[in-house]
Amino acid sequence: MSDVEDHGDTGYEHDDGNDAPPKRKLYDDEDSEEEEEEEEEQQEGGKKKRSKHRKRDPLSRFLDIEAEVSDEEEEEDDDEELVNDGFIAEEGGVEGEAGGRHHARLDKRREMESGGEKSAEDLAKEFRERYNTRKLERFTGDMNEIPQRLLMPSVHDASLWQVRVKAGRERDIVFSLMRKSLDLEYTSRPLTILSAFQRDSLPGMIYVEARSSALVSAACTGLVGVYLSRGITLVPIDEMALLLTIKKKEEKVAEGTWVRLKRGKYAGDLAQVVDITENGDEVGLRFVPRIDLNPRDDGDGSKKRKKGASATNPGSSSSRPPQRLFNYEEVVKLYGRNAVSKRGGGSLYVFLGDTYKDGFIEKDVKLNSIILEDINPTLDEITMFSRTLNPDGTSNGGALEDNMVDLSIIAESSRKAALAVLQPGDHVEVFEGEQAGVHGVVEEISGDVLTITASGVDIEGQKIDLPARSVRKRFKPGDHVKVMQGKNAGETGLVVAVSDASANSGSDNSAGGGVVTFLSDMSMQEVSVFSKDLREAAEVGNGTNVVGEYELHDLVWLDLQTVGVIYKTERDSFRVLDQNGQSRLVHPHQITIRRDARDSNKSIATDSEGHEIRIGDGMKEVDGESRKGRVLHIHQSHFAFLHNREIAENGGVFVTRARGLVSVAPKGSLAKLAPGTDLTKMNPAAAGGAQGPGAAGGMVGSGAMGRGPRDRLIGVNVVVIKGPHKGYIGIVRDTNGNIARVELNTGNKVVSIDKSKIHRRLPNGKNEPIEGPGATTPNPYASGGAGGRTPGWGGAGGRTPGWGGAGGGGRTPNPYAMGAGDGGFGGKTPAWNVGSKTPNPYAADGGRTPAWNAGNKTPNPYGDGGRTPGWGAGGGNKTPNPYAANSTSNTSSGGWGGSTPGRSLMGTWDSGTTGGEGWGGATPGRSLMGTWDSGVTGGDGWGKGGSDRNAPTPASWGGASPNRGAWNAPTPASAATPAAFAPTPGLPYGGAPTPYSVPTGGFAAPTPGLMPTPGMSIYDTGGYGGLDMRNNYQPPSDWLLDPSFAAYLTSIRVVIKDTRQDNYLDGKYELLEAQVLAASRAAANYEQTALVKVKVQGNEEDRSILTKYLFPVPPSHQDQAAVILTGPRKGDKVKLRQRPDTDADSLTELVVVQTVIEKGRAEDGSANGEEGTGPFWECQKDWMGALR
Amino acid sequence: MSDATAAIIPPTKSRHLRACLLCSIIQTSSDFRSIGCPNCEEILQLKDSPDRILACTTSYFDGVIAVIDPETSWVGRWQRISKYARGMYAVRVKGRVPEDVEAELESRGIKYRPRDQTDQD
Repeated sequence: MSDVEDHGDTGYEHDDGNDAPPKRKLYDDEDSEEEEEEEEEQQEGGKKKRSKHRKRDPLSRFLDIEAEVSDEEEEEDDDEELVNDGFIAEEGGVEGEAGGRHHARLDKRREMESGGEKSAEDLAKEFRERYNTRKLERFTGDMNEIPQRLLMPSVHDASLWQVRVKAGRERDIVFSLMRKSLDLEYTSRPLTILSAFQRDSLPGMIYVEARSSALVSAACTGLVGVYLSRGITLVPIDEMALLLTIKKKEEKVAEGTWVRLKRGKYAGDLAQVVDITENGDEVGLRFVPRIDLNPRDDGDGSKKRKKGASATNPGSSSSRPPQRLFNYEEVVKLYGRNAVSKRGGGSLYVFLGDTYKDGFIEKDVKLNSIILEDINPTLDEITMFSRTLNPDGTSNGGALEDNMVDLSIIAESSRKAALAVLQPGDHVEVFEGEQAGVHGVVEEISGDVLTITASGVDIEGQKIDLPARSVRKRFKPGDHVKVMQGKNAGETGLVVAVSDASANSGSDNSAGGGVVTFLSDMSMQEVSVFSKDLREAAEVGNGTNVVGEYELHDLVWLDLQTVGVIYKTERDSFRVLDQNGQSRLVHPHQITIRRDARDSNKSIATDSEGHEIRIGDGMKEVDGESRKGRVLHIHQSHFAFLHNREIAENGGVFVTRARGLVSVAPKGSLAKLAPGTDLTKMNPAAAGGAQGPGAAGGMVGSGAMGRGPRDRLIGVNVVVIKGPHKGYIGIVRDTNGNIARVELNTGNKVVSIDKSKIHRRLPNGKNEPIEGPGATTPNPYASGGAGGRTPGWGGAGGRTPGWGGAGGGGRTPNPYAMGAGDGGFGGKTPAWNVGSKTPNPYAADGGRTPAWNAGNKTPNPYGDGGRTPGWGAGGGNKTPNPYAANSTSNTSSGGWGGSTPGRSLMGTWDSGTTGGEGWGGATPGRSLMGTWDSGVTGGDGWGKGGSDRNAPTPASWGGASPNRGAWNAPTPASAATPAAFAPTPGLPYGGAPTPYSVPTGGFAAPTPGLMPTPGMSIYDTGGYGGLDMRNNYQPPSDWLLDPSFAAYLTSIRVVIKDTRQDNYLDGKYELLEAQVLAASRAAANYEQTALVKVKVQGNEEDRSILTKYLFPVPPSHQDQAAVILTGPRKGDKVKLRQRPDTDADSLTELVVVQTVIEKGRAEDGSANGEEGTGPFWECQKDWMGALR
Repeated sequence: MSDATAAIIPPTKSRHLRACLLCSIIQTSSDFRSIGCPNCEEILQLKDSPDRILACTTSYFDGVIAVIDPETSWVGRWQRISKYARGMYAVRVKGRVPEDVEAELESRGIKYRPRDQTDQD
């Protein structure tokens, strides 16, 4: 059946082209998808289909016509009744309608009558007409009289249900619902929804009118894109009407409005509306054409050329020609005279189907292919429209001042935008409404309502609510403003003029505010912007001056041979200064590539003095005009582009030869002033940048370090501790002598800072000097840190070949290296070093430089030889002792080398085949160093020139151990040692070199090398002819904290001394004995304190005292317990087995003691783990601290 | 279900949907050309006159309503399309009918209500 029906249908439709389909009621019942498809196919214009159907026409037509006609008749009647009903229903209410209704009736009757009078043909014709128009019941608009408010929904109406759907599919789904309902209308389960609709402004939802939500979900099931699972929400009855009345803010298109094109070659281009078609569907636009003036296929025939250059060629949109006003001559030249036809008078042309008038293209465009909102035309774009073509065809750039643009139009177009840009705090003025003229500060914005605090005589301080669109930002000359958006965004400047756009146009148009002209802080040029784009701002902007991917001061390649620097950006072009000093106007497409900034940074050039030039350096020409400037770019190491904003020419950019420059910064002179600076750079042989002058030789032999490829400071995190950048954190990027170039973490800025002004920043957040203080002090003797530089293990230069690679200058070779990472301590002699650097495993001892310990103490006759050297080395060299392989050799004078504590250590290691080469070499070096230092300081025999000293040493070493090789290298470095000495200035010992000097004499000839080691000398004393080389033991300031004594901390007797001279605590506690309650090591940078109990005038008092004022009390009577404070047995508990001299001066007296082996201590291997007594030996009195 | 006739439902994908400025029904322009406006053909005379179609219909409309039961539907009543054929209607249509149509309406004593929701009462 449906087949027949279908054919009938189609047949009917094609039977007579003029026939409108009848009301489709008839076949609606069988309305099937098939039919739908048919319709669609037909609409798609399938001619084939039509002809196919036509074949079957006769039969189906017959059947169908019969059926339809009869039915239509009835229907007509029905309809008429219906209409009449309507009239009757409304008759009472609507007076004016009667006439119309009457007419309608008359018309109808007339039609009928005339039909009756006609001839048969006419009648037939009439019938057909009637048939055609039969359905055309009069348009009555019967509902139009009812006021909308009477149409509001009532409770009797079906509800509206909101259904979530896939965004973008709303319309499709509404269509589907319609079709579905028609399909199912006469099935057993028709859709019982009344309507469904969608609004463009409500994406992702459709609304269905139905009696219940179940009906809605029934209707929606099976439709793709409907999210029934997200619920069906009832729309409250009072919101129903709103759904149908909401509308997007009306975008009125009026003549003169600015719009933007959405698609095609002109996408995004600004256009001006010149006229509007009657139904507002299309608008006539005027905009700047983009005619391809470089047709690609030039050689071909004109036709083809035209095509290639066709303005409508969508494929060519990728490289769309620039905006340019239509120029008849140019176009004719390229496209031939035939391509352009001239219309009428003036400059009206038709080219490729488009009309060009006054240089602009005028085109009718569909309303939906233009953008009406958020146009925000820029002044530049608008000025383009203000250009006119001169008769000669050249364009005449119209500036703003020409007043050719009606700014009010722009202002209008930006009216909406103005709402968005207001912020609390803005100064605004009211330009319309009854408050017009009031100005004040925006307090609050809620929606479209502003609250402002008015200022002015009468209403000062009052708060006024205003519609946001009736205010505009207000600026006055003198304000400092910043551009918030647009091309000039980021520019700041001083307002010099405010021109009110409304001045010469209707007040209604002035919404966006006037044009503010300000003097840019950057370019010192006047910039005009809309006031809506401005804010008052105190800061000075660093406008970006970016055009496309090019930025002001970029280095760009113009061609293979030419580079240039952009010194000015214009609307669509740049001014570029090339390397030959010529200035050119360049368009972006003429730029080959932009040199990556990094590339440029890599370029190296040297100035006239041979110093390196870097980007950003301040340089000056040595000859010529002596122009100064900051280096922007270096090209091929030869050309330098500099910038100086004081130079007016070329935007302050100039190019010059790099060789003709000299630094204006004091860099060069600094280098000269500070001796020893920048050795790294200037002399690869001195690599490692030995910091002390004396250390210069330190690198000899260390081939690996020879190049010193990198300053070890590079990459170090530092904090600036002085100067204008104080507090800034950065990373050392490079060093140049005393100067470090630090890249600050903030601002991405590289500054040159004196090294002394930066501190290394440790991961734990603490800071410490970047390197020993000595590093920067030229005076080797004065520098505390210089010791650290001791070739043996000092700074980079000083690295002993053996372990130089190990890293940080300051690091001790010490295998136990506690705190070896504290490079910052480098300055300290290993021995000295608070221990960390000391090879001494018990490092706390470090303070005791072997050197100073060593002194001239008489070798301990009782001690086994092996040990002795050990202590000589000052705790530090303890290690060797236990193994004391060398002891014997030590004792022998010849073996001096071996006896050096350091050496002994060496020896030890050697024998142990510990592979000590590596660091073994270092250790002795250090101790040796220390010794040397002291010697030197003493000045006596030692003073005679480092070279002498140096020489012997290696020799002595040479004999000593296989490690000598390693040793030799460090030796020369010993030159630096002197410095090492200095670090301890604080110690009383400072002045103590003398003791060393004593031995010197003995020393002099034979074992110079040996001598050095103080530790050694102790042992050697014997060999030296019994000279009393003993020295007073001065515990280091933090002796108390030595872990060796931890067990006795509270029992050790201490006395407070030396406070008077420092006036510490007014010397109140001077010479009082105290009991230590607690002490723990504070951070290295702080003074160590201990909590002690002290009795002052009968009152006991607990207080903290700096440990440096706490001194051990030497044992004074037999059988007294004591702890050994230094030496190889440091930390051992002993008992005096001999009554010591009571003479206070006899602190160096040797006393027989017996080791007390405590439980668990098995140091010597001799211990059985039981508490008991150990061997007897002899100990210097002041090496012991009495225990309670 | 209503007895109202149904207009041709345009295919969803059609890019040439236009809405009648007078009754706001949505059809493809080819449908307007071949059958005119199912509601106001008598006054607009759209059939076979593309110029007329251009003048009296627009592609600039917002919101689509599937009017399934115009008589009962409140939406239909609100949109004043209760008496019209079933079909797709626009919620809002931009533009006004040509002046001659307006004059004709006036002469018939029919109040013209633009479909662009500019005048609400």
